[in-house]
Amino acid sequence: MTAISSGSTAPTEVERPETHETAVPELPWLVIVWNDPINLMSYVTYVFQKLFGYSRPKAHKLMLDVHYKGRAVVSSGPKERAELDVARLHQHGLWATMEHSE
Amino acid sequence: MSFRRRIHPARDGGYEVRLGAEERALLEVLPLRLVSLLEDVGDKAPGDLPDALRRLLPPAYTTDPDAERSFVAMTREDLLEHHRESLETMSATAKETRLDDDQIAAWLAALNDLRLSLGSMLGASEDETEPPSARSHPAEWIAYLYLGGLQSELIDVLEGTLPDPVPGADDLVPEDHWGEPPGGLRWDGTPQPRDQ
Repeated sequence: MTAISSGSTAPTEVERPETHETAVPELPWLVIVWNDPINLMSYVTYVFQKLFGYSRPKAHKLMLDVHYKGRAVVSSGPKERAELDVARLHQHGLWATMEHSE
Repeated sequence: MSFRRRIHPARDGGYEVRLGAEERALLEVLPLRLVSLLEDVGDKAPGDLPDALRRLLPPAYTTDPDAERSFVAMTREDLLEHHRESLETMSATAKETRLDDDQIAAWLAALNDLRLSLGSMLGASEDETEPPSARSHPAEWIAYLYLGGLQSELIDVLEGTLPDPVPGADDLVPEDHWGEPPGGLRWDGTPQPRDQ
């Protein structure tokens, strides 16, 4: 953020590094759920709502992506967060993996 | 004639379960068989597990063996414990006519675990047509279909108990990350059969 005073001269101004250039955001990890022939569609929708707090339409859309496209990104974030989500999905019997966002 | 649910919410909390004696006998015995299969798992990689267990212990990292090993080291025991607890709870309460919230959650998890195990072993397909293995394993095939029906009824009931959606949660992941269908690949890179 810049804050330029309206004064004509600023002889005492100290030079500072531009902080927004030094912060390199880490690429998020993607949590992916893959299609499988066994899990019921209604169950997958239920789990997405329960674990991620998604609305029913959102959870249903993600489930359809899994079913028809073979996979869907269901959450993303830092590595630890993604590992936790994968572990929770595994506990619910869903076929989840994680990979680095490209 | 109206369809009577086998599991439904009770007026004063919890759930009422109406099942026949044969159904209850199945729900008591089947989970314990799976629990005994889970005893020998240890830290085996998913690829080294028998078909009946592979889907219960899936990989998190498919292209990074080191990351996968540390993920297994970190999560395997909790995951096994979760499976065991659900299965043992369902077996122990198979003859109850009333279940509380924790027990019903265990039933849902155990039904799903049993279906994953039986379905993987039988090579079940998405449309529930009879796989060739059903001829040599008729009891397992019938159990698989039965458990699916019961689980489906249970989900109908439990959907009504979900808390309200978390505000803003829907916006955290893009609607369609890849845009186009990815070519219909399964997690291991094999093609997925086209769905009509």
